[in-house]
Amino acid sequence: MDKRVGIEQAVESIPDGATVALGGLSMNSAPMAYVREIVRQEKRDLTVVAIVAGMSVDWLIAGGCVKKVVSGLISFEGLGLAPTFRMGVQTGTVAVEEYSEDLLICRLRAQAWNLPFVPTKAGLGTDLIPLHEQAGTIRAEVDPATGEHYVACTRLPVDVALVHAHSADELGNVRVDPKLIWMDNEIVNAAERTFASVERYVDHADVVAEPHRTTYPQFMVSGVSLAEFGAYPSSCFPEYSHHTEFFQAYSAAASAPEEFAAFFASRVVGPETWVDFIQSCGGDEMVASLRRPSV
Amino acid sequence: MTPEVEGYGCTVDELMVVAFSRAMDNDTRAFNGAVSFIPVCGYLLARRTHAPNLVWAASSIAIDANPPAIPESTLSDALWDGASMLATSPYDFWSYASGARYNTFAFRGAQMDAFGNVNNTVIGPYEKPKVRLPGGGGMADLGSMIPKIYLWNTTHNPRTFVEQLDFRSGIGWGDGGDHRERLGLPGGPQLCITNLCVFDFHPESRRMRVASLHPGVTIGEVQESTGFEVLVPDGEIPTTERPTEEELRILREEVDPTSARLREF
Repeated sequence: MDKRVGIEQAVESIPDGATVALGGLSMNSAPMAYVREIVRQEKRDLTVVAIVAGMSVDWLIAGGCVKKVVSGLISFEGLGLAPTFRMGVQTGTVAVEEYSEDLLICRLRAQAWNLPFVPTKAGLGTDLIPLHEQAGTIRAEVDPATGEHYVACTRLPVDVALVHAHSADELGNVRVDPKLIWMDNEIVNAAERTFASVERYVDHADVVAEPHRTTYPQFMVSGVSLAEFGAYPSSCFPEYSHHTEFFQAYSAAASAPEEFAAFFASRVVGPETWVDFIQSCGGDEMVASLRRPSV
Repeated sequence: MTPEVEGYGCTVDELMVVAFSRAMDNDTRAFNGAVSFIPVCGYLLARRTHAPNLVWAASSIAIDANPPAIPESTLSDALWDGASMLATSPYDFWSYASGARYNTFAFRGAQMDAFGNVNNTVIGPYEKPKVRLPGGGGMADLGSMIPKIYLWNTTHNPRTFVEQLDFRSGIGWGDGGDHRERLGLPGGPQLCITNLCVFDFHPESRRMRVASLHPGVTIGEVQESTGFEVLVPDGEIPTTERPTEEELRILREEVDPTSARLREF
C-alpha cells in the first residue's frame, strides 16, 4: 500500500479536538511542515502533547488551534521564552497540563504497552504530584512488597503523532539517520496513527538492502509526506541547524501584539505550500547557510 | 559585561564557572539540560584541569563531546562535536540517569528556596499565572534520580531566593531534614553557586548555608538579597577561592571563546 500523502491531506485527516503529539526536542527536529499546515487548516481545540518543544507549540497557539498543552517544557531556550505560549497561558486561553519528561515518557509507555501504569521515581516530592491528584493521571504510591516510593504514570492516549525524519519508502518505512536521538518513538508507539514528514523518499529496495536503518516500520505509520527542510526553523541533525534569525525575528515581532499578528499571517501562514514557505524564509541561500557539512 | 570581581582579575561569571568546576572531580559523570551555560563551562573546564576523566554528555546526548565553542543553546547539536557516542533519550539516557550511572546534574530556577527546591513552572498561581515559565522539563526527574545536584543562579535577589516557591518543579532537599531519604531518593543538592556567594547545605536541616562569599560581598548583602534566613558557618566566612591564571585562560580561550555563558546574565 502506498503511504505517500501530501502534507495537506495528512493534516486534513486530523479532526478538531484531537490529541496530537509532536516529535522533536526543543530546537531540534520538530515536524514544522505539518504544524504549519494545521494552522493553515484552522484546526481547533487540539490537545497537544510535546515532551520538550518550542516553536511548534507556539505556532499552534498563535494559530488558535490549541485547547491544552501537555508538556514538560516549552521555550526557545537561550533565545528566550516561547512568547505566544506564555501569553496564551497567562491570559487563560490555553491550559497547561505539566509533567516532567520522564513522567510523560512513562505515561506514553503505559499507553503503548497497554498497562494500567508504568512506575518511575521521577517527580517524587514535587508539586507535580498534587497537581494531578484529582485527575489521577499520575499517583504517588508505595510498593507494598518493598516499601519503595514510586509514581504510577497512567496511560496517555494519543490520536495522532507527527514526527519529522530523514527518509521513507513508498510503503511508509521511515528512517531517522543516523539514529533516533529524540523521544519520537515514545509518541509513535503510543499513538493511534502516525504521520512522518521526510526530507526525501527512497525506494523500498533501498530499505530492504539496509533494514537495520529503519526506525519505524510501515505498519506503525499511517502516512509519509515529502517536506524538504521540513523541520525548519528547528534543526534536523545531522543535516541542518536551527535558524537563529527566524527565532529572533519571531520573538521580536511577538513583543508587539499587532505587529505579531501581521508577521504570523504573512511570514508563517501566508505562503501556499511548504516549498513556498522555505523560499519566503530565504530560500536556497538560507538553506545553504544552515546545511551542516556532511557527516 | 558582568561585574569585575574585586582584586581577582576576572568577572563574576568566570568566578562562578571556576567555583563550579572545582566542585567536580574525576568520578563526575554529568550531563546538561537547557540554558546551562555555567555548568557546561564548568564541566569542560574541570576536564581540562583537575578532572581529566570527568564524563560529560552534552545536551544529555553527546557523550564525551569536545566542542570548539559553546553555541547559543546548550541543547544544540553544535555542542556535540567530538563526541564518542550519541546516546538516545528513550533507550540510553534514562537508564543511565535512573541507576545513578550518571551521578551529577545541575539546575537553576526562576525561584529557589532554602532547601534547594526549584520552580521553573509559574510565577503566581498555577491556573492563572502572572508569568508562565517554560516548565520544569527534566528537573522533577533528575532532582529525584541523581545523587549530586548542583544549583546555580546568576540573579541572586529576594525574588529568586524565596521563602515559599510558587510551584515546586524540581526537588532539592524537599521539606528538609531526612525528606529525601524517606522518599528513597539518593543524595541531594551539594552546592548552590550564585553571583554573590556559594551556599552549601546544613548537614541536618538541609537549609542553605553560606560556604563562601565572593570578594567584596558582605554577609549582610547576601542576607538582604535572600528571601529566607541564610545560615552562616561557625567562625569566619571564607572568601570564594581565586581562579588561577591557567583556569581563566582555558575558560576564555578554549572552553567558551565566544562568552556564551553571558547569556545567563
